Amino acid sequence: MGAETQPVQNSMKPGKWLNSTCKMCLHSCNIRVHVSEDGIVNKIEGDPTSPSNNGRMCPKGNAAIMRHYDPHRFKSPLKRTNPEKGPGVDPRWQPISWDEAYDIVGRELKRVMQEDRRKLLCAINNFQKLFLWAWPAALGNANYFSSVGNFCGGGYHPMNGFIHSAFAAANDVNYCNYWINNGGGDGFSSHLHTAAQAYHMANARVERNMRVVVVEPRLSIGAAKANEWVPIRPATDRQFALSLCHVLVNEKLCDVKFLKKETNAPYLVGPDGYFVRNEDGKIYVWDAGENRPKPWDDPSIEEFALEGSYEVEGKECQPAFQKFKDILEDCSPEKLEKTTTVPAATARRIAREFAKAAQIGSSIEIDGRVLPLRPAAYNFYRGAQGHKFSAMANQSFKLVNMLVGNIDTPGGHVGATLDDQNQDIRGGAGQVNAGENGMLKTAPHQLHPEVPFSYPPNETHLMGYFPIGVDPGHLTQLTFFQPEKFGMNYTPDTMLLCHANPLWNLTGRREDWYRIMRAMRFIVAIDIVPNESNEWADVILPAHDLLESWNMTMIEPPHHEGMCLRQPATPPLYDTRSEEEIFYEISERLGVLQIWNQILNFVNGFVMRPELMLEADGKYSDQEIAERKGLLWNGKDLNWYREHGHAVTPRRPDKWYRPWQGMRLHFYIEDILKARDDLKQKMEAADVAIRHEWEWADYQPLPTGVLDPVHLEPSEYDLYAITYKDIQINFGESLSNPWIDDIVFKDPVHTSLLMNRKAGLARGLQDGDIVEVASPYGKIVGRVALSEGVHPDAVCVSNALTRVATQHTGVRTGGGNFNDLLPANLQHTDACSGQPETVAKVRVKKIASVPAQQLTGNTVFAQRRRH
Amino acid sequence: MAKWGMVFDLKRCIGCNACAVACKQENSLPYGVFFTKTLSEEVGEFPTTTRVYIPTLCNHCEDAPCQRVCPTGATYTRPDGIVMVDGDKCIGCGSCIVACPYDQRTRLEPQMLERGLFGNGKLTPFELHGYARFTPGTAVKCTFCHERVDAGLQPACVATCPTNARIFGDLDDPGSTVRRLIQERRGRQPMPERNTNPRVFYID
Repeated sequence: MGAETQPVQNSMKPGKWLNSTCKMCLHSCNIRVHVSEDGIVNKIEGDPTSPSNNGRMCPKGNAAIMRHYDPHRFKSPLKRTNPEKGPGVDPRWQPISWDEAYDIVGRELKRVMQEDRRKLLCAINNFQKLFLWAWPAALGNANYFSSVGNFCGGGYHPMNGFIHSAFAAANDVNYCNYWINNGGGDGFSSHLHTAAQAYHMANARVERNMRVVVVEPRLSIGAAKANEWVPIRPATDRQFALSLCHVLVNEKLCDVKFLKKETNAPYLVGPDGYFVRNEDGKIYVWDAGENRPKPWDDPSIEEFALEGSYEVEGKECQPAFQKFKDILEDCSPEKLEKTTTVPAATARRIAREFAKAAQIGSSIEIDGRVLPLRPAAYNFYRGAQGHKFSAMANQSFKLVNMLVGNIDTPGGHVGATLDDQNQDIRGGAGQVNAGENGMLKTAPHQLHPEVPFSYPPNETHLMGYFPIGVDPGHLTQLTFFQPEKFGMNYTPDTMLLCHANPLWNLTGRREDWYRIMRAMRFIVAIDIVPNESNEWADVILPAHDLLESWNMTMIEPPHHEGMCLRQPATPPLYDTRSEEEIFYEISERLGVLQIWNQILNFVNGFVMRPELMLEADGKYSDQEIAERKGLLWNGKDLNWYREHGHAVTPRRPDKWYRPWQGMRLHFYIEDILKARDDLKQKMEAADVAIRHEWEWADYQPLPTGVLDPVHLEPSEYDLYAITYKDIQINFGESLSNPWIDDIVFKDPVHTSLLMNRKAGLARGLQDGDIVEVASPYGKIVGRVALSEGVHPDAVCVSNALTRVATQHTGVRTGGGNFNDLLPANLQHTDACSGQPETVAKVRVKKIASVPAQQLTGNTVFAQRRRH
Repeated sequence: MAKWGMVFDLKRCIGCNACAVACKQENSLPYGVFFTKTLSEEVGEFPTTTRVYIPTLCNHCEDAPCQRVCPTGATYTRPDGIVMVDGDKCIGCGSCIVACPYDQRTRLEPQMLERGLFGNGKLTPFELHGYARFTPGTAVKCTFCHERVDAGLQPACVATCPTNARIFGDLDDPGSTVRRLIQERRGRQPMPERNTNPRVFYID
């Protein structure tokens, strides 16, 4: 066909362009979709009008068409006909009508509600329709059978709530000149709006010469692009951060004025760890000018003491800053070098460079407001925070930032809200409120309201025992297999999955998870393509994909805000439905329609505009919900959004920079002690036996240098296994996509287990050897590649190598699930945040060949793709 | 008449291959066929290691070896410098594939089109719609998205690149960004020893 008659390039063919929003990861980049005259979706591009992703897209976003046309998609409601369930076992689906499917699901869920609603396990993981997460609440159920914290931030999100009253945080790319990245991929490979961040980051690196220092066990994309890669032993990130704090404090490289006036660092801490208060509840500080204690807000205070030991109201006490300084005595770079393997001189140099780049004392005027300018910031994410003492790890990273006064400043480390809802306020869980004694009100519950304590536990994952953290879904393994120990008086037997793959993401042995799945009387899954978990379902309710549905959201953008429209580019290819319809239909059959509408009004913020409230008995389409969300944001209707695609603007400086101005930030987190003692008291009162094994030492108001228990595994496990994703497989499933498959398995970092070359040779390993990687908890196999880009103590496992057989034959199976290497127990779970350890101590043993069962089907070990 | 060329900024490229996938959707490429892709190479010894990401595509050489060896004149250069293959004239002899020093040409085997992206022998509507452009058995390669360029747009890989590592423009225009970058940051052509005079430059 000649070019002169008919275009051959898809974007040039006759057709129409529609504005929409990507959903190939959980974030929301603005896109435009080309639909040909014959109704084929044949090109998706970034929306050039978006100041966030600027017309750019990551490889996943570029691959959305192959999700749409995936022949493995669920094409109608399905009913299992094979009574045998198991990994890779064909359910022998039989198509059924929606009426029949809804009736079965309604009947089965009604049964569990009548018997004991706690027996329902839900895993709802759709971030772009966050309101769906709240659906179990309509049933009075708070179970969560999936991982949130494991592979994002169990301690991360609550700590952002403590420090910024926000869900996430990022370094401010607009002004930052010195960017430390520790175990996170912001701007390079993963996390917040990757295509958008990579764009802004590249401009800062190349045009402004922003210096990037990446601290990671593996030479990640970020590390490869950085000015400096600092290889670090896995699970010692907290110690590295504390060694920086040591230098900043002891070399007096801190923003003292900020610490004294805008944090609780001068507040006096008594022997019990609580602040010392007068009879009116006012917290004392020490006035070094008059050398006597005064309430924190006494206008006569001449000089807030940050250091020293005092006696007030008969109590020995010290400023919170002094408490931290005492902890840091054991955290010099020289002392921690043995732990982190980062040379002391390197840590000292980085701390000094960081402090110098922070320009303490400088300011900048933005929109008529004079703000501190602190163009140096320490960013971090899953790799750095995914450890047993996660709350402490997160706080140590925050303290590096806080010591130089860069919290929420231009160029500094800035909170990012999850879903702002309404442009007039910084809405949702990101609201900034005043707390007691001049401090910011902490907001550690960023995903849902606190789940009340109960005994026997109402939640199989013990969420009522985590007044601070993110759902520790992996703990269901404990209560399921040791019900007496945890006082369980019910056994879960019903499951609802929605865009979730817990059998991929949960830590612990697959075999144990399979036993739990086998014990389910009934499983319903709402999904688009088959995966490890939904192949266990009894009924599949197929959902529209992102090119067939409506939505309105803006998820976790670091530097931008404003709603983004998703609209159908084509009618549904198959007999699928929206999640909105599915949950309305189920709710109606369960008799919870009214309460579901109440919940939707609350979690979507419709209560802020009464005219947008959903009526109690109504059932609303995805389009109607989307329109309300758009109206709530800026008063614009769907016609406006269809024309513009989005309402995205740069975050407004007044709502983004120091929205808490006038309040003090939490240098010292007394609320963590309060949460501990409140839980302890409730457990005592209810005589909860597990309190004697509870990890009470995990609740610390300031981080210490104590080793995470992963380091204390038996010495025969001499290496640390870590796992990672890059931009092609960042956030959520894309390995079933042939375009993603085509690039991932050509990339050397995703085809083999990576080990340091010298360390591998010393163990007698060569490139291409097949090895068994065993932890005290489980094992996987893989092919080794020796690399100069790996810490000598690390074995690095790409997430692309961790799938197991499913009904989706396009997914290449690997050598076992990495999460099998990790324990699902209390000892390796942060009691303060629910975060499980994500690093495993392992030993690596050469084996003759890949076990036969791992060579069947479409595997990563095959030379060629097989379907 | 413009002479189109591209600059790859190696400081910016993060090796994500968004370019490769954008190209696949723009040009309906079968599984395993790339008109552009990013290679990576580890450099140095631990701990002073880095990895270099190297975007590649057809260099649209001024003295194109592929064109020299083509027996039927199927490979030709447009006046704006874009090297093209006329599928109607190509006999699939493969000489150009051997001659290209940059390994940027692929012989489109019939089974590549028949197997389908999902490898099940069935073509998706996207493929049915897009594969009509191809003549099985002929040589294919990057055309700088010539139709987009003719319409005043950027090639698809350039438009999507998250880090703006691909800069496309007129090499004959002294005021163009590509010319400025080549001059200021000393752009280098790939394999200059082959005397092909590529219209693609790398800066680092």
